[in-house]
Amino acid sequence: MPRRTHDRRTRDAAGRGRGGGRRQRPKDVRHRPGGERGDAFRCVGCRLDVPLTAPGTAHRNHCPHCLAGRHVDRSTPGDRESRCRGRMTALGLSVHENGEWQLIHSCEVCGTLKPNRIAGDDNALALIRLALRPLADPRLRDRALLAL
Amino acid sequence: MSNNPNSQPSSVLRTDTFDCVRCGLTVTTHAPDGGRRHHCPSCLHSRHVTDRVAGGPSDCRARMNPIAIAVLRTGDWTVVHRCTRCRELAAGPVSGDDNQLVLMRMAVRPLAQPPFPLEAFGDI
Repeated sequence: MPRRTHDRRTRDAAGRGRGGGRRQRPKDVRHRPGGERGDAFRCVGCRLDVPLTAPGTAHRNHCPHCLAGRHVDRSTPGDRESRCRGRMTALGLSVHENGEWQLIHSCEVCGTLKPNRIAGDDNALALIRLALRPLADPRLRDRALLAL
Repeated sequence: MSNNPNSQPSSVLRTDTFDCVRCGLTVTTHAPDGGRRHHCPSCLHSRHVTDRVAGGPSDCRARMNPIAIAVLRTGDWTVVHRCTRCRELAAGPVSGDDNQLVLMRMAVRPLAQPPFPLEAFGDI
């Protein structure tokens, strides 16, 4: 159709089109080596492709398989204001006042500690291993005797 | 004053004390094993005096609650504190005369309130 070819030609000449029209479709390409996709990220610990939507929480901030994360937020979840970008590994597990579990993440580069809520699809075995880590200490018997 | 925690402090520093912000116990600044204390050995509460994000001393000086036990690669236990005022986290090593009952209660607290049933892990 002649009208369509004419439109395309004018858009090419203008570089980006005239505005209006249809919206830009979401891209599924990496913008630079090691860059992020629009709807998923790759875990820094186990290289798993993780979708951004997580059940039970609005902010996916760690890998559901190995519980590792990346240090991108500074104060509030999702602000992306940290320049560290280091790997954050799960250090321990604490219980919030309302009874839900919280991971304590520590950055391997700058040593910052951050509490993060667990998500609904987190690996239950990894969580249990983390919860049992203090109790697997062989010196626990001495501690228990000291408490008596 | 020597900054190395392994070296023995002078006799003046060995008798230096502080008062716990929560239970009021008068505590020596140095633990029996020579290291410097980060928290009260009786109730494990601490005071927010060092700023971990910006470095140097902190202006907050609020009470810090113990929230979790973390295990380092060396196998040593570490207490994670959270400031009640500015919500910053800090970690400090466990000293030899810390209250073992409070430590154990924090270590088993996640298992007392699991978010999923633990019966399935009996087969693994």
